[in-house]
Amino acid sequence: MNLDAAVETYRVESLELLDVMEQSLIALEHDTANPELINAIFRTAHTIKGTGGVFGFDPIVGFTHQVESLLDRIRQDQLSADSGLIGLLLDCADHIRNLLEPVIAGHPLSGALTGTGQTLQAALARYIEAPIAATATRSGDDHAAGADTPAWHLSLRFDPAILQRGLDPVSLFNYLNGMGTIVRLVPLLDQAPPLAALDPERCFLGFELSYRTDAPREAIESAFEFFREDGTLQLVAPGSPLSDYARLLQTLAESTGQAGELLLRTGTLTPAELERILTREDTPVAAAIPPPPAVTQTRAAAGQAAPSPGHKAADRHFIRIDSDRLQLLINLVGELVIAGANTHLLARQARAAPVVESAANLIRLIEEVRNIALGLQMVQIGSTFQRFQRVVHDVSRELGKEIELHISGGDTELDKSVVEQIGDPLMHLVRNAMDHGIEPVAERLALGKSRHGTVSLNACHDSGSIVLEVSDDGYGLNRDKILARAVEKGIRPAEAVLSNADIYALIFEPGFSTADQISSLSGRGVGLDVVKRNVEALRGEIQVESEPGHGTLIRIRLPLTLAIIDGFLVRVGNERYVIPMDMLVECLEYDGQTRQQSTRQGYLDVRGEVLPVIRLADLFSVRSTRTERRENIAVVRYGHQRAGLIVDELLGEFQTVIKPLGALFSRLATLSGSTILGSGEVALILDIPGLIHHVMTRELS
Amino acid sequence: MVKTILIIDDSASLRQVVKLTLTSAGYEVIEACDGMDALQKLDGTKIHLIICDVNMPNMDGITFVKRVKTLPNYKFTPIIMLTTESQESKKQEGQAAGARAWVVKPFKPETMLNAVSKLILP
Repeated sequence: MNLDAAVETYRVESLELLDVMEQSLIALEHDTANPELINAIFRTAHTIKGTGGVFGFDPIVGFTHQVESLLDRIRQDQLSADSGLIGLLLDCADHIRNLLEPVIAGHPLSGALTGTGQTLQAALARYIEAPIAATATRSGDDHAAGADTPAWHLSLRFDPAILQRGLDPVSLFNYLNGMGTIVRLVPLLDQAPPLAALDPERCFLGFELSYRTDAPREAIESAFEFFREDGTLQLVAPGSPLSDYARLLQTLAESTGQAGELLLRTGTLTPAELERILTREDTPVAAAIPPPPAVTQTRAAAGQAAPSPGHKAADRHFIRIDSDRLQLLINLVGELVIAGANTHLLARQARAAPVVESAANLIRLIEEVRNIALGLQMVQIGSTFQRFQRVVHDVSRELGKEIELHISGGDTELDKSVVEQIGDPLMHLVRNAMDHGIEPVAERLALGKSRHGTVSLNACHDSGSIVLEVSDDGYGLNRDKILARAVEKGIRPAEAVLSNADIYALIFEPGFSTADQISSLSGRGVGLDVVKRNVEALRGEIQVESEPGHGTLIRIRLPLTLAIIDGFLVRVGNERYVIPMDMLVECLEYDGQTRQQSTRQGYLDVRGEVLPVIRLADLFSVRSTRTERRENIAVVRYGHQRAGLIVDELLGEFQTVIKPLGALFSRLATLSGSTILGSGEVALILDIPGLIHHVMTRELS
Repeated sequence: MVKTILIIDDSASLRQVVKLTLTSAGYEVIEACDGMDALQKLDGTKIHLIICDVNMPNMDGITFVKRVKTLPNYKFTPIIMLTTESQESKKQEGQAAGARAWVVKPFKPETMLNAVSKLILP
């Protein structure tokens, strides 16, 4: 039996459960008595332990068992979840996380890991008082019986309601036959009502059987495990003294004579033996023997208080797919889009109306498939954000500040690869906000601010970009201090005149740090410039807003880096270019006079607003083949900035697959990729942010 | 006829192990991730045995057992509940609801197979 796939599922599942545990623990800190949360935490430990045991991952099971015991005490209100306890449980969650890999791989645990485990267990034990013994494992070994073994005698009586409880005596006999041989079976029919009055849903049968097996008494009794509370079993071992049989006869419901008859029929007793028992019936020997070891057990009374299970996100109906396979699908869909466009083009050229119609239909379907395929790659940013709860919790403790994390827009979807790469930069910004942004409690109170500092994470969509914001309600940036520092470090000359935004942006320059004290968190020189680099690697940009005394907001704007985009095709000379559709604002036509003006000044007056323009033919050194006097301008926007691109011809909307440019062109600021048109020609995709940046720098110089 | 078993647990990996164990013993296994999901799968299909976790989101095992006992097609279907040592009160609730068979988590695959074979043979 190959368990590899199941083990992998267990690993992923456990990591997810640990995330849930962590988030719930942090939520518990603010809401210490919430039974839903406590239950949710309990269930995560419970599942990790329960399933881990199935795989035989003993170190995980043993440790998690301790955690579970502690959680159980919290659940039963024997302990209250104070912050010390929550801290301990968070450490335990980390430890379980660390145990997973080596235990699953079957490696011996490192000394450090074992040490941590022992320390934590000792800490747990202080809460649990007495450590609880390791989980018992139960086994149900099967035994086959030799033919010549002497037979046991089993006497069975059932509760009439057992059938309704899903128990069928036949299954019991089947099972017994699996570990021995039922030599004889005598049913007791006298309890059954006449057929007309018979309720077929009730069981009126009792059985006497003689059973041959090598299995020990416990194994036979275990066969009746599920019947215990709905019937009685009496077992008499082979070769028992006659007094045992005598006692059996006494306890059976039937009169001793009838019961004796039954034992004769099963072959358990010979007539002579029965005779001897019956004659000794009144002797005190039998009475002196302790009561028979009936399997029937009394149930201990216990409270019915059962906590209602917490609700976990209903995310159970998902299928896990290897991301490589997904990537393959998306690539193929991309090819399909191109092939579809090609078919459509050929059909139009052939002027075959039915084929054109059919091709149009095909393209519509491909578009749908494309949208779905791309949607598969999108994940919500929420889980990434949630992870910061833990960071904020730990770091605020470390810093001795009181900080809360507010999360909004967690359901904003973005490309999985972007989510993966944006985690670290966000972490840096959050830590930075906590370390340098938020004031210590005393200072906050002196300033008349609330005791708790707040760090907020927000995500939203904005005109084809994803916007992620990290903000705090702390000091705010000190304009003069930053400027002084920049001059001191030689990042900017002293005489430079800079806007506030420009000054704030300086904090992302390499080698910039104004922290007076170097703390363990940030200020180690590997500063915010790393964040900037990471964001730029994703073709994103950073903006900073700040108000002294009220806090700072850092906004990261990222493109929806997808394999396929909706584009707008334009022509310049013999070249074709694609403008990403979500950055296109409008298309304008201008006459020749304006053209002269625009060429001279580099900007146009559009409805009273200044619009900088770029002549793509000049930029890319392409010979313009414009025939008309009028000039076509595509107005694009990125963030708050707009620009006009002067082109020869507007060719219309076009769906396209982004093919990255080779590494050789990676420094090219104005182009972001290429694509193949339906006709087989190559078109270049314009990098609008790069172009706008180009316009802006030209304007400044 | 192959006997069909419904396994209900919120842990996908646990379901996988149980499924592997039981299918290699000759049973057919259907999975459900919680009580609610399981009820939807009780659509008239012949199910010979139900294995059900107690502690699950959406609909817990006890509620599920109570509901099953009201379904004409399934009220006699034997139910094995999965529990832990610390859940004695749950066990009693489950018994009151009509489940009689128990397997204690964590269990070995053989233990599960053994418990199942006490109720139905493949």
